[in-house]
Amino acid sequence: MGVHLLQLAAHLDELVPLRCFVEEKTTDLQIAADKIHDILLSVDELVTNIILHGYRGREGSIEIQLELQGDSLIVFLRDQAPLFDPTQVPPPDITLPLEKRPIGGMGIHLARHLMDEMQYRVTSSGGNELILVKRNVLPYKAQRLE
Amino acid sequence: MEIIVDQANGQLPVTILKLRGDLDASNFETVIAKAKELYEMGTRRMVIDFSQVPFMGSSGLVALHSIALMMRGESGINLEAGWQAFRSLEHTQEEGAQQYVKLLNPQPRVSRTLELTGMNAFFEVHTDLETAVFSFR
Repeated sequence: MGVHLLQLAAHLDELVPLRCFVEEKTTDLQIAADKIHDILLSVDELVTNIILHGYRGREGSIEIQLELQGDSLIVFLRDQAPLFDPTQVPPPDITLPLEKRPIGGMGIHLARHLMDEMQYRVTSSGGNELILVKRNVLPYKAQRLE
Repeated sequence: MEIIVDQANGQLPVTILKLRGDLDASNFETVIAKAKELYEMGTRRMVIDFSQVPFMGSSGLVALHSIALMMRGESGINLEAGWQAFRSLEHTQEEGAQQYVKLLNPQPRVSRTLELTGMNAFFEVHTDLETAVFSFR
């Protein structure tokens, strides 16, 4: 009952339907409004990275799965772009001089900051799977239990 | 993304860039291109109206920063630069919020993106167009 799936073409025009999907399903799941924005921004940033830096203009698809487990929302992002583990991207070091700064990484940094957990694995079909966890997304439910 | 351009006169001439729709990776370069076109036509001060922008991703921040640099006569940032964009803001931070681009009515989600990245320190935010226009001196 709490699992929602969307498949998108790897194209920037798909970001609007992506956000509509995340917004609609998280609202249906009664997730708190501030948490919805965090999830929305994280998914938008990471899917943008998959499109721009994973597929790099090549045809491909991205699968987004939202799953409510207890009071945590789990987001699965799956693609068949060349293997890339965003969890290994070092956080930006603001003490480094400009010329030594890593290029990019803003979206990954935002997602790391906004989500409680981020895991990466290679799927059995050889694709990328990123698993994001946002905890305590159901404040109303928690309040009812008190 | 729809972009509407208007002009206003406070103590100085100001261009108003009114955006309608989400600002994301699919359209941020269009916003920069419009600002560049306006700069080449003489615009040096800009209010960007966010009243009708429900969502902004990090690409939108790159657009804002690029436009702010452009309005003060510096070359725009490398769109692929990511965090380097924020590095180049550091000398701006020493001067406080820059005085060339001001924001009007960012919605809560846009404000949150600005706050999360510390970009709110670099842009004055106004809730009233007249006040925003007359804030340029």
